[in-house]
Amino acid sequence: MFTPSSPPSAVQAVLARDKLGTLSLLHFSLTAATPLTVIAGGVVVMFALAGQIGIPLGYLIIAVCLWLFSVGYTTMSRHITNAGAFYAFIARGIGRIPGVAAAWVAATSYCAMQISLYGLLGLTAQSVLARMGIDWPWWVCALAAWLLIGLLGTRAVDINAKVLAILLTIEIAVILLFSASNFANAADGVPLAAMSPSTLGGEAAGAMLALAVTGFIGFESPTVYGEEAKDRRRTVARATLATVGILAFIYIASSWSIIAAVGADGVVDAAIADPSLMFTLAGDQLGAPWAIIGEVMLLTSVTAAALSFHNTTARYLFALGREHVAPAWLGRTSPRTSAPVAASLTQTAVSGAVIIAWAALGLDPRVHLFYYMSTSAGIGLLALIATCAVAVVVYFARDRRGESLWASRIAPILSVIALLWVLYLSILHFHTLLGVEKGSTLPVLVPILFAGLAILGAGWGAFLKSARPQVYAGIGHGAKAALITAKAEPAEVAGV
Amino acid sequence: MPDVPSPRLVYDALLITSLDDAYKPATGPRVTGLGVGSALLAELVLSQQLIVWADKGVDLVCMDYGGNGERYRPPADSLALWLIEHVRAERTSLSVRDWLDFLSAADVYTKTADHMAMVGLMVRREYRSRWRQRVEIGYEPSDPLIANAAFSRLRRHLSLAEPNLSIEDAFLLALTDAVGLSKPLYNQLPSGARVYAGKRRQALPAALRAVLAHLAAAVADIAITGGR
Repeated sequence: MFTPSSPPSAVQAVLARDKLGTLSLLHFSLTAATPLTVIAGGVVVMFALAGQIGIPLGYLIIAVCLWLFSVGYTTMSRHITNAGAFYAFIARGIGRIPGVAAAWVAATSYCAMQISLYGLLGLTAQSVLARMGIDWPWWVCALAAWLLIGLLGTRAVDINAKVLAILLTIEIAVILLFSASNFANAADGVPLAAMSPSTLGGEAAGAMLALAVTGFIGFESPTVYGEEAKDRRRTVARATLATVGILAFIYIASSWSIIAAVGADGVVDAAIADPSLMFTLAGDQLGAPWAIIGEVMLLTSVTAAALSFHNTTARYLFALGREHVAPAWLGRTSPRTSAPVAASLTQTAVSGAVIIAWAALGLDPRVHLFYYMSTSAGIGLLALIATCAVAVVVYFARDRRGESLWASRIAPILSVIALLWVLYLSILHFHTLLGVEKGSTLPVLVPILFAGLAILGAGWGAFLKSARPQVYAGIGHGAKAALITAKAEPAEVAGV
Repeated sequence: MPDVPSPRLVYDALLITSLDDAYKPATGPRVTGLGVGSALLAELVLSQQLIVWADKGVDLVCMDYGGNGERYRPPADSLALWLIEHVRAERTSLSVRDWLDFLSAADVYTKTADHMAMVGLMVRREYRSRWRQRVEIGYEPSDPLIANAAFSRLRRHLSLAEPNLSIEDAFLLALTDAVGLSKPLYNQLPSGARVYAGKRRQALPAALRAVLAHLAAAVADIAITGGR
């Protein structure tokens, strides 16, 4: 009889050699997040748009929501294949038709989020080049980055991961240095008022929470590696919760430090006047070269963010292609690198077309491309996470599968309540996020667009159910769809 | 008990996946390992040394001792024997996916290439890397015709829609597709070629279809996880 104390066989020893620990999974999830982009590109904008100082509190609320969500999410991931894709959880929890609807919303949201970053990227590169005396329009810089990202996206992802890891390490070091400097040069001491619940009220609360969610995207990635984890029960949960905790610490500390450096009364006006407030503060406190270093780091950070979202979008499209939920050619891999080459090139083509269209129409890259598109994608992703939370509750409502009451019932229900509340506020206050008047068409148009996509996706799912049952059976299984469809398809007679 | 299996399937899988030419790229090392490993498993299933059976939704690999009380006869082929000895040494049956991962990690490519070198199909060469100051080992086909033979044969089957396709070639067709070489495989062939290959795959024994499905899933997993 095999017992845990028995020495492992040669085969098991070889298989165990390749297993991942918590730190390895943490590396993958943190490289999917790019904190400097969130802080320098997003936080200052949030101060300016929301006109409030409750941003650290907003990050704290979202971190708690995602922590609650992660408990049920990582628990369910142990019981399903294709863990890591939100739509797979929805397909297994609520049903395959809602799963296809979620897949369409997810692919569009990730695609929009990635494209939006080219606006910020183009502007940041333009600013860095201007310091060197080179005057290039934003779209030329964006297209150069687009070419680089398109090329890296078709290469083996482990090359990308090494690049991202180096950038992330430098990024976090720069953020912590700038934050420490801000606290050391505080205008009126540490502003405890910034963490008061009263700072997060009015018409902008939902807008801030929606933007805060986008900063944490990537926290879900440890579940992708669940089957390769040393201990599927503990390693994935630890890595996911640690990712949320580390990102929350960085975001709260750095946004709070900006309030401390400028002062609670003046931070909104300062953010409106200077979109590069974080680097201006660093330049004043640490010396002018640090502002340049910060700006260069922001450029690499946005590039890394765009690359990370490019890979995420490509993998989503690839998984959908493999399931035949999207055109099957999207499921093609590069023989040499095993990268999802067709999906990657599709994302590259779409983003290239958007950059060219924005340049041709003379639209503002910061407002119309970065702000509008990223915030719209944020709403889509928030709706996706909230629906996934509902799926976790439904999944464990049928059978607890031996999991604890906390992990299978209490935490998932609390996360549903919290996330639906955040989603409601975000949609209600979406006009603030976009900087338009209440009652304008645009804030209504975005949720309608996502709802329309979901309905179309559900319609496609219903069609697959009746017309292609073997494809329908594989929905939500991603890379493993081949195993399901192989069993579902009828055997042919040889020689026919 | 059947005769010693022909090692042709695993050799052909290695030639198809690991060699590149003007018309077909080679697959990456991990995918090559998975492809060659799946061909080795398939060979042993066809020679009734191994069976693949589903238990609680998991496809397991175990020894095929037959139902008529025959004694175990080890395969004469050293490559097959190496895998069979590993399967016999396991206390519990492992899944197809575990075996594919093991074969890839245990460098089944090098073992197969060495085996092919012994029978004169490949030539083992040593290269001294100028920059890394290290000796690297590579394998080349002893004859260029050998290198292209398997892939050309598959394309001929597809273009003629060969009615009497062997199980081994039907498996190789599906394997070539699963490792990501579908583009060069179907290049400039009639549109019915894919349908033909799909029907041949569906006509394979269930055990081989299971191995192919796990191969396709493993290759897709590499694309999603980046083969980290």
